Amino acid sequence: MEEAPLFIHFLYFTALRNYFKLFVLFLLGACAPYMGTYAQTGPASAEVFVETDCGITLSGTITDHEDRSPLIGATVLLAGTRRASVTDANGHYHFQNLCPGAYTLVVSYIGYTTERQQKNLRAPEVVNFRLHPDGLLLHSVEITGTMKSEQITQPTGRLSGQELAQTQGQSLAQALERITGLSSIQTGPSIAKPVIHGLHSNRILIMNNGVRHEAQQWGSEHAPEIDPFVASELTVIKGAAGVRYGADAIGGVILVQPRPLRDSVGTSAKLHLVGVSHNRQGVVSGQVENNPAALPALSWRLQGTLKKAGNSKTPNYYLANTGYQEQNFSAAAGWTQGKFGVDGYFSRFGTKVGVFSGSHVGNLTDIRNALQRERPQPEADFTYTIGVPYQNVTHDLLRLHGFYKTGPGSRLLFTYGRQQNVRQEFDAHGDQSKPGLLFEITTHSNEVIWEHPLVLNLKGSVGAAYQYQFNRFEGRYFVPFYQSHTTGLFWLEEWEKGNWHVEAGLRYDYRHLQAKLFQKDTPQKTGQSDLDNQLLKPTHTWQNLSGTLGAIYHFGPHLDLNLNASSAWRSPTTSELYSNGIHHGTGTYEYGNTGLGVERAYHFTATLAYVQNQRLNGEISVYRNFIDNYIYQEPDTVPTLTVRGAFLTARQQQADATFTGVDVGATYQLSDHLLFSTKASLVRAFNRSADEYFIWIPTDRYENSLRYAVEKQGEQGVFAENYFQISALAVSRQRNLPDNYLARDYALPPPGYVLLNAEAGTTVQVGKQQIEIGLIARNLLNTAYRDYLNRFRYYADEVGRSVTLRVTIPLNF
Amino acid sequence: MTLFTKPSRVLLIFAVVFLASACNNDEDPVPKNEEELITTVRLTFAPQGGGSTVTATYRDLDGDGGAVPTLTGAQLAANKVYNMTVAVLDETKNPVADITLEVKEEADEHQFFYVPSSGLNMTVIYTDQDSKNLPLGITTRATTASASSGTLRVVLKHLPGVKSANSTIATGETDVEVSFPITIQ
Repeated sequence: MEEAPLFIHFLYFTALRNYFKLFVLFLLGACAPYMGTYAQTGPASAEVFVETDCGITLSGTITDHEDRSPLIGATVLLAGTRRASVTDANGHYHFQNLCPGAYTLVVSYIGYTTERQQKNLRAPEVVNFRLHPDGLLLHSVEITGTMKSEQITQPTGRLSGQELAQTQGQSLAQALERITGLSSIQTGPSIAKPVIHGLHSNRILIMNNGVRHEAQQWGSEHAPEIDPFVASELTVIKGAAGVRYGADAIGGVILVQPRPLRDSVGTSAKLHLVGVSHNRQGVVSGQVENNPAALPALSWRLQGTLKKAGNSKTPNYYLANTGYQEQNFSAAAGWTQGKFGVDGYFSRFGTKVGVFSGSHVGNLTDIRNALQRERPQPEADFTYTIGVPYQNVTHDLLRLHGFYKTGPGSRLLFTYGRQQNVRQEFDAHGDQSKPGLLFEITTHSNEVIWEHPLVLNLKGSVGAAYQYQFNRFEGRYFVPFYQSHTTGLFWLEEWEKGNWHVEAGLRYDYRHLQAKLFQKDTPQKTGQSDLDNQLLKPTHTWQNLSGTLGAIYHFGPHLDLNLNASSAWRSPTTSELYSNGIHHGTGTYEYGNTGLGVERAYHFTATLAYVQNQRLNGEISVYRNFIDNYIYQEPDTVPTLTVRGAFLTARQQQADATFTGVDVGATYQLSDHLLFSTKASLVRAFNRSADEYFIWIPTDRYENSLRYAVEKQGEQGVFAENYFQISALAVSRQRNLPDNYLARDYALPPPGYVLLNAEAGTTVQVGKQQIEIGLIARNLLNTAYRDYLNRFRYYADEVGRSVTLRVTIPLNF
Repeated sequence: MTLFTKPSRVLLIFAVVFLASACNNDEDPVPKNEEELITTVRLTFAPQGGGSTVTATYRDLDGDGGAVPTLTGAQLAANKVYNMTVAVLDETKNPVADITLEVKEEADEHQFFYVPSSGLNMTVIYTDQDSKNLPLGITTRATTASASSGTLRVVLKHLPGVKSANSTIATGETDVEVSFPITIQ
């Protein structure tokens, strides 16, 4: 499923290049004499394959007749001419420079009945097609049930195919940094969490294979427990997407979508090998999938990944205890028959991550000592051995999914997910044979959706969701036992006519939380054991509405305007309410606040996209997110005195916040082979209550790159899809800071930096197999720098020059 | 696979799954005493040549957070030599747990450091050693000079596998760090 659109895109670009040559001729004046004449008209002249410009465009959208999703890669042919167009990611096709005349449009797409239409063209025209699925071919396309093909009025970013492959060996958050508006908060080179438009952790939902990922998301050193190798596509919705995915999605949603199961009889396998130099990381990931001939309704897949990395190297030294290991596997099987289908998926993510010892201690004196040092303590050499402190995390996901067709374009969908996340944190203090802290969180999620048939150009769905969660811990207190019940009801509609696409939705959520903790775990502890060992069971109930209203207006084949206004809310998490203790990941004594109320966001965004042009393509997106009662940690000027010295104190507070920003991305085809692209992401986070900027907000990022690509090298085309790319990433110093900064953070933001990166890739034909090879060099100049959002910045530099070699070997039987 | 041939059965399966997930977990946390709680740090100053001993105490019976710890300093005589001993205790246990004994057992992984603040006319030298003849600091000799006041910072460092003659107050992990107010008159 994945290669086909890519291949067609590739064909399309080849076609574009031919047009481009003619376009140059036109510019050179070849067409100038004809400008005023209409003599060169009609399809007859097109047959001679001389492009003339009568300035008429013909464009439109190809969609599925039933669910109205755009058909990507459908072919539109002008019969009797040599002109064809292939639909883009939004299902758009277009012809430029046509002359008036009679044309026959032939629209074809695999799995659909081919349609023909006669058109007398006199002026620019939009002709849309709704293709009917071909009953014989379509039998198992359904299984995925992903959001892939939907038009979303909020800005989105996608990583798939080669671009996703180039991130192999990196964590999910690092991979997503390729998308504008995304950055990551890190705890050294081994732990990274994604940040969307300055928001992260509990304000971002990660939908792993359609199930909301639930773990201990509150900690900055708790990276998402997902193997990036399971994904064939990563999609990020930037903005409050609470209606579809549930309350809490104030910052955005990350969709991790595996490749659909095989829909044709046969067996295939794929092997990925990755090596990374800065930590001598080795990765082996493989998958095998099958659709047996004897049982065509059944399709299954097995997938697994092994990763091992040692201490990371900065330009001048190794970082002690920064190695990690991962063992992940997943299994999926689906059964599709007639009107219904079911599929099951199980995945296990297991990791052992070393945490740089220097970052895990901590009273104020220790941190000040560390800040004074040129090089981090203790000194280290390269080793794969992981010592204390380290984390041992496993995450299991079981997903059951089913659908039943309730009519044309109408389905009932059910998804059940069970997740268990076990996080063990081993400290250097005390008994090292058992974790100093163990969290175990179990989540059951259910979702039922009915997609109603198309009525009055309205396509939509109603759904209900229920989630139960239980959290327990062993060892030191930080976050209490709790259980929560969350129920949601939602209704989403899309309306499409002419150049308009409008969507609206509403959601109601109810959440009940019961925490269980002892008096001694609260700030009201007394020191007397009979009083302190009293079990408290406080409960909280929240309910609220989320809403979204958005529109896309197609100005023409190239220009789209997307507008969206959304509101989402979030109830305080258990950690924000009840945490009490030293958070070893931050060296801070953190107090929860049981008086916290609901946080609500009003998110407005506008995106102007210029697409499918021969040379210039781009997108600019502006947003403003008003968050009332934004929950954040405010450092206290009085440190907490303990027997281990003074610790920075942080308390949970609420204030009205405004997150404003802009994301820009553009590409320009300089010549046949040379593509220039540029990206910029800027965000400002302002505390309206205190009239000052927030701390720990991503700094401005700019990236420019130049890519040279040739589709084939040599006569035989042994080396295909060759490319070389060089890029420069500039990250500025954070200058939007509150006064009295050093009372809230240990050190001022580090200076900005510029990194030079390079990538190259090729596909080698060996026998029947197409082996894909990629080479990525990051931080080519071995620049020593520190990043504002890395907790290591107090102690150590970032990773130095690093080269990744990756090989993908498909095995088709 | 006949299980799936009727949609009603599929729906039934999902209904069962849904109901099974709508559960309650009645597990309660079990009260547990922190294993390595340090509530008290006490310095005892015994003047050489006789005289009454003086103590300085840090006490935080409810552990980190909660009530603010109590801290009492020491008043020492000028130009005198004191045999100083440090005691690290868990006073929530009955009888009181003496954690100094554990430090002594793991002497080659621990070291006390004593840092008089500038202006406090006082010097501290080690009088005990671990098995590798490196200083330990449970017993020390404190010598006062002219009348002054300030703080004496007491730091217990955990130095597993890294304790050496070059160990400083800036290395290892901090198990104890208390600054006692001291007056010399």
